[in-house]
Amino acid sequence: MTAPQAPEEEAESPFSGDRAPLPPRWDLITAAVLLAFGLGVIALAWRMPTFVEQSQTGLTAPGIVPGFHATIISLLAILLGLRAIRRGALAAQPARAKRAGGDTRRLFTAAALGTLYAGFLVGRLPFWMATALFVFAFTAVFEWERGPKGRPRRLAEAALIGLGTGLAVLYVFERIFLVRLP
Amino acid sequence: MLGAGFAHVFAGGAVFHAFWAVLIGIVVGALPGLTATMGVALLTTLTFSMGPNVAMLVLVCVYVGAIYGGSRSAILLNIPGTPASAASTLDGFPLARQGLAGRAMGISTLGSWLGTLFGTMILALFAPSFGEFALQFGSYEMFWVALFGIVIAGSLSGGDPLKGYIAGFLGLLVATVGQEANHAYPRFAFGNTDLAGGLGLLPVLVGVFGVAEVLNSMRGPAVKAVSSKMDSVIPRIRDVAQYWRTILRSGGLGTFIGAMPGLGEDIAAWTSYAAAKRASAEKEKFGKGSVEGLMAAETGESACVPGAIIPVLTLAVPGSAPAAVLMAAMMIHGLNPGPMLAITAPEFIYQIVAMLIVADMVKLVYGLVLVRPLLWVLLIPRARLMPVVFVLCTVGAFAITSRLFDIWVMLGAGLVGFILRELRFPMAPLVLGIVLGDLLDKNLLRGLTLTGGDITPFFTRPISAVLCALTLFAALWSIPGLFGRLAAPFRRGTAA
Repeated sequence: MTAPQAPEEEAESPFSGDRAPLPPRWDLITAAVLLAFGLGVIALAWRMPTFVEQSQTGLTAPGIVPGFHATIISLLAILLGLRAIRRGALAAQPARAKRAGGDTRRLFTAAALGTLYAGFLVGRLPFWMATALFVFAFTAVFEWERGPKGRPRRLAEAALIGLGTGLAVLYVFERIFLVRLP
Repeated sequence: MLGAGFAHVFAGGAVFHAFWAVLIGIVVGALPGLTATMGVALLTTLTFSMGPNVAMLVLVCVYVGAIYGGSRSAILLNIPGTPASAASTLDGFPLARQGLAGRAMGISTLGSWLGTLFGTMILALFAPSFGEFALQFGSYEMFWVALFGIVIAGSLSGGDPLKGYIAGFLGLLVATVGQEANHAYPRFAFGNTDLAGGLGLLPVLVGVFGVAEVLNSMRGPAVKAVSSKMDSVIPRIRDVAQYWRTILRSGGLGTFIGAMPGLGEDIAAWTSYAAAKRASAEKEKFGKGSVEGLMAAETGESACVPGAIIPVLTLAVPGSAPAAVLMAAMMIHGLNPGPMLAITAPEFIYQIVAMLIVADMVKLVYGLVLVRPLLWVLLIPRARLMPVVFVLCTVGAFAITSRLFDIWVMLGAGLVGFILRELRFPMAPLVLGIVLGDLLDKNLLRGLTLTGGDITPFFTRPISAVLCALTLFAALWSIPGLFGRLAAPFRRGTAA
C-alpha cells in the first residue's frame, strides 16, 4: 500500500500563537485581579448563613468550601504577585514585540460573530436559519481577506456551506440522534 | 467476565458505532485546533438518546481515535493535531522530510495500537482489585483523593505549579456555584434561578475547550505545510522486534502517568520519549528522525488512554482532561463511576476493556487504509471548519438541559478559558477542578457532618493520613529547590 503525495497546503496550528513567557508585569496584574476576586468571594462566603442551629457546627456551613477555595486562591495570588515583583515586574519593561494587528482583529471578529450567533440569533430564529447565517457570515468574513480573485465563487461556497451545515445539523441531531435543538 | 464484556459490546450492531466513532475521533484528532477533549465533549451530545453502553462505546472510540489522529498532522505538517502528539513531531516530521512519511505513519499506528493494548491489559488486570480496595475509601479519603488530584495536576501539568494550583482551585470554585448538598442553599446565585441550578459541567467544558479553541485558532496565523513523498504505510515486524524494550517501557510509563490524576497524554508522550532517549543506544538519532523516538512517543500517549480511565472507574477521579469529560458523560448516562462501581456494576470494567480493545482494532484498520482521505481533511481551511465547530459547541451546551442559559455559560467559560490560556494557566487542573469540585465539596461536608465538625478523622484514619501526606509532599515537591535546601545541612554534616 503506497500513500499519496502529501499536500502542499496551508494548515493552522493551535500552537502557532506567541507562547513565549509573559512579562512579569502581566503576572503582577493577573495576581492583583485574582486577589481582588478571591477576597470578593471570601466576603460573599462569609455572608452566607451558617445553619449552626441545625448542624450544631459552623464547619458545615455553605460558605466553608468556597471560602476555603477563595482563601487558597488569594494566598496563591499573593505568591504570584511576589514572584512577579522578584522577577522585575516593577522595573522598567523592555519594549515587547506587538502582536500583529490582524491577529487581534481576527480574534475580535470571531468572538463577536460567535456571541451574535449563540447569544442573540439562537432562540430567536429557527435554528437551521441562524446556523446557516452564522456559518455563511463567518466563512465569508474570514475568506474576504484572501483578495478579490475568486471572491464570488468563495462567497457562493460559503453560502452553500452555511445552508448545508444548518440542514445537516438539524437532520443529524434532531432526526437521527433525537437531540433537542435551540 | 471479559467474554461477557465482549458479548455486550458486539450486541446490537455496536461495532457499527465503533467504526464511525473512531473515524470521527481520528478526524478530530488530526485537525489542528480540535482536541480529544473537545471531541469527547461534543460527541457526548450525540449520545443522549443512546443506551449507556453504546454511548460509552462511542465516546471511548472517539477518545482512542482522537489521541491517535493527532499524529497524522504531527508527521505530515509538523503540527501536533492534539497537544498529546507534540512529542511525535520531533521524529515524525524529520522522517517525513526524508521521504519516509509512510513508514512514520506505520510506526505511529503500530506504536499507538500496542500502547492502547498494553494499557488496556493493565486496566483489566488491576482496575478490579484496585476498585475493591477503593471500597475502603469513605468521605474523608475521597476528600483527600480530590485534593491530591488537584495538587498533582497543578504541579505537573503546565510547567508552572503556581499557576497550575490557581487554575485547579478556580475550577473547584466554579463547581461550588448553585445549591449545595447539605442545606440546599444556593451559593453565588444572586437571586437567579438558573445560577441556583449550578453551572452545567458540559457547557463549561465545551466552552473552555471548544469556544476557547475556536478563538485561539482563528487568532493565530496560518502556517505552511511541507511536501514529502511517502512510502509504504504497512508497519514492519522488525520495528517491534528491535524496539520491544522501548514499547514495554513506554507502555508502562504511559499507563502509570495516565492513572495519575489530571496529567494526561501529552505528559505521557514526553516522559516516554525522554526515557527512550536516555536508554537508547542511538541517542544521536533522536530529533532527526528516530524510529525509536516516534515509537516511544506514540506508545506512551496511547497507553495513557486506558491508564486515565483506571482512576475514573475506581475512584471517580479522571486521569486526563478527555477522561474527565468521559467521566462527566458516564454520570449523565446514569453510570456512577467510583468505588461503588465494584459493587453496583462490576461487569462494567470489563465492558470498558472490551470497548477499548474494539476501538484499538478499528484504529489499526483505519491507520492502514485511511491515508488519502485524512490528507484531504487536513486541507479544510479553518475559516470553513471553525464556524461548524462553534455550531456543534452551541448544540452541545444546549442539548443536555435545553436551557439557553447554558449557551451563555458556554460563551462565558470560553472567554475565561481563552484569557487564562493567554496568561499561561494550564487547562488540565482547571478541568479537573470543575469535575472534582462536587466530589470534594460533598465529601468534606459529609465527613464534617458525620463527626459533628471534628476534623481529626481527616488526618488520623490510616488511608486518609497517607493521602494527606502524599498531597503535602506533592505540594512541597513543586517548590523549587526546597528539598535541596532542606538536605543541605545534612550534606554539609556528612562532608564535615
